[in-house]
Amino acid sequence: MAEALFAQFLTGFSIVAILLIISLGLAVIFGVMRVINMAHGDFIMVGAYVAFVMQEYFKLNLFWGIPAAFFVLAAIGMTVEWGLIRQLYGRPLETLLATWGVSVVLQQGIRLIFGPELRYVRAPQLLDGDFAVPGSNLPFPYFRMFIIVLALGLLSLTYWILYRTDLGMRVRAVNQNRPMAEVLGIDTRRVDRFVFAFGSGLAGVAGTILAPIKTVSPGMGFPYAVDSYMVIVLGGVGRLVGTVAGASVIGEAETVLAFLYNNVIAKLLVFTLIVIVIRVFPQGLFTLQRR
Amino acid sequence: MELTRRDVVKGALAASAGAAAFGVPHIFVRRLTQANAQDKTIKVGILHSLSGTIAIIERSLHNAELLAIDEINAKGGVLGKKIEAIIEDPKSEVRFFKEKAEKLILKDKVAAVLGCYTSASRQSVLPVFEKYNSVLLYPTLYEAQECSYNCFYTGAVPNQQLSDFVPWLIKNVGPKFYLIGSNYIYPKETNREVKAYLAKYGGQTVAEEYAPLGSTEFSTTINKIKSAKPNVVFSDLVGDSIVAFYKQYRQFGITAKDIPIGTPITTEEEIKAMGPENAIGHYTSFNYFQSLKNPVNERFVKAFKGKYGQDKVTNAVMEAAYFQTYFLAQAIEKLKGNTDPDGLIQEGLPGQQFQAPQGKVKIDPVNHHTWLWARIGRANTDGQFDVVDESKDWIRPDPWTRVLYPDKDCDFSKVPKGSKSGTITVKRS
Repeated sequence: MAEALFAQFLTGFSIVAILLIISLGLAVIFGVMRVINMAHGDFIMVGAYVAFVMQEYFKLNLFWGIPAAFFVLAAIGMTVEWGLIRQLYGRPLETLLATWGVSVVLQQGIRLIFGPELRYVRAPQLLDGDFAVPGSNLPFPYFRMFIIVLALGLLSLTYWILYRTDLGMRVRAVNQNRPMAEVLGIDTRRVDRFVFAFGSGLAGVAGTILAPIKTVSPGMGFPYAVDSYMVIVLGGVGRLVGTVAGASVIGEAETVLAFLYNNVIAKLLVFTLIVIVIRVFPQGLFTLQRR
Repeated sequence: MELTRRDVVKGALAASAGAAAFGVPHIFVRRLTQANAQDKTIKVGILHSLSGTIAIIERSLHNAELLAIDEINAKGGVLGKKIEAIIEDPKSEVRFFKEKAEKLILKDKVAAVLGCYTSASRQSVLPVFEKYNSVLLYPTLYEAQECSYNCFYTGAVPNQQLSDFVPWLIKNVGPKFYLIGSNYIYPKETNREVKAYLAKYGGQTVAEEYAPLGSTEFSTTINKIKSAKPNVVFSDLVGDSIVAFYKQYRQFGITAKDIPIGTPITTEEEIKAMGPENAIGHYTSFNYFQSLKNPVNERFVKAFKGKYGQDKVTNAVMEAAYFQTYFLAQAIEKLKGNTDPDGLIQEGLPGQQFQAPQGKVKIDPVNHHTWLWARIGRANTDGQFDVVDESKDWIRPDPWTRVLYPDKDCDFSKVPKGSKSGTITVKRS
């Protein structure tokens, strides 16, 4: 029993990593631009299809799919930002509706091009198989390990960009106080464009990495969108540590509770937990102090 | 802000438009009249999900029915009239099934509907068919314990599937079963039946759990399976969940040699979506497999691939969808082109026979279910099934599973005329 619980705890890390990857893009976008992107789940879905296309038509494996998805989605994100978001700046309800429209267009577009059936994306040969973990009931798949490594990598990359580059400093300035940043001469429109493109690119990578272990279909995006919003709501907006905290709490809680009880009860308890936490910390666990 | 006259007029128009939109369908509620004899075509409704979580399998039912209609029309149709398919996509959502069924019956005035996959969808549309007295032909294996006047069931019931499968698994793999399923009526009823068969044949239930329909994260379940050490995992997962589960099962290092998965649901279609390497060695029980070697099946597979693509596969549920279309055409022909629902239900459909790709099949004369063949297949490296067991003859369907309800049966010849259910009580010695 203890072995199974430990195995569960380890698996929880991979769930946390998955949650982190899917939420990171949204956290960055929502944190800086306060834009609710209803198409976030569908960006993830397009990322999965990019992986599928790379595999089927270019015969290139997932390692190529990841940067491909990043750039494809960054391009789509930039287009959406330039065409829609920027026109509707300051009007949250219209932005919501417009991004929901993007979601519908993406879903139906993919359905028209590829058909509604499930698609098969393979994990790279290199990552096939698993290794035994001492003290654990289950062997740990290499691919899930790769997901954890990738999540940490993306997190570090985001941190490095935000805290170690000029661009990142400008992003953080806009995040903390947009009008003041504008007054100080920062081109907020350019920052917005970059942020949206980067967040969308991250969503694309999430889709690619999830395709081999989940299912790839035009409607796959919605549950991921729900999960990422939960992570951000719980963890708080504006700080990376919030997203990590949100993903960790939700990921581990769901996994361990699912083992002790079952999937349905676990989801219910996690939802209840989130509601309670929000009641106590309305801004989420970690939030930015604003003046 | 004051209310101007313009606002009042706009509001009134909007309100009345809304009320009219709600009211319009109800204006057309009336007893279904038979299709006009002057109609140039025979309209048949096709009600299968082409999108959503069940589309992976339900799409193939739609395709098979259209193939059958094409073949019938190519031979001149039914008594010279072509069959016209009216297609609706309920998107795997139960509420849309009900809406679309009403539309097909009331607006399109179809002769019958070929439709549904999940039991949830069937149970939501049956009241519609019973209310407006139309005909549903349902091709999917299901949990039985049902017997509606307005439905003809051409898929397997447990005594044509589980009653061989469970004892075979106990004998050839082992007695300890871990039951998993999607969270709705079919898996729950089926697991109830499995447990009854286990009790009868000396098997044992190690654990039982359910995942939300459409869920794709199974690491916890797999961990529990590993801890519980069963001989067989009996899975009633449906749709997308099947693909995710088999993939993650193998990723976590469990092979069919250790703990095989036995299921009455996973078809060649889901195996194509998950990749054959994830399905090797696992067992499925069905009436039909694409790999069956007989001339009718070879012709059928060739025709299907010819119409839809060489990479497509056939499966048991769409094979039933295919032959039930022929049943319908034959029934209308027997009634000399009359598509009156009571005629189809009482005279046209019962007793119909057809040489299907699985073998000869027939609709039972009194219980609205179909005589079928039972087989057990093991998935191989090509994503097809090697048949490891086969029934010697076709099997009479028991709409009430005897191991659970020994004193119930379905017999429309023994219930009062106009009764919507054929369930009767019998004394068995």
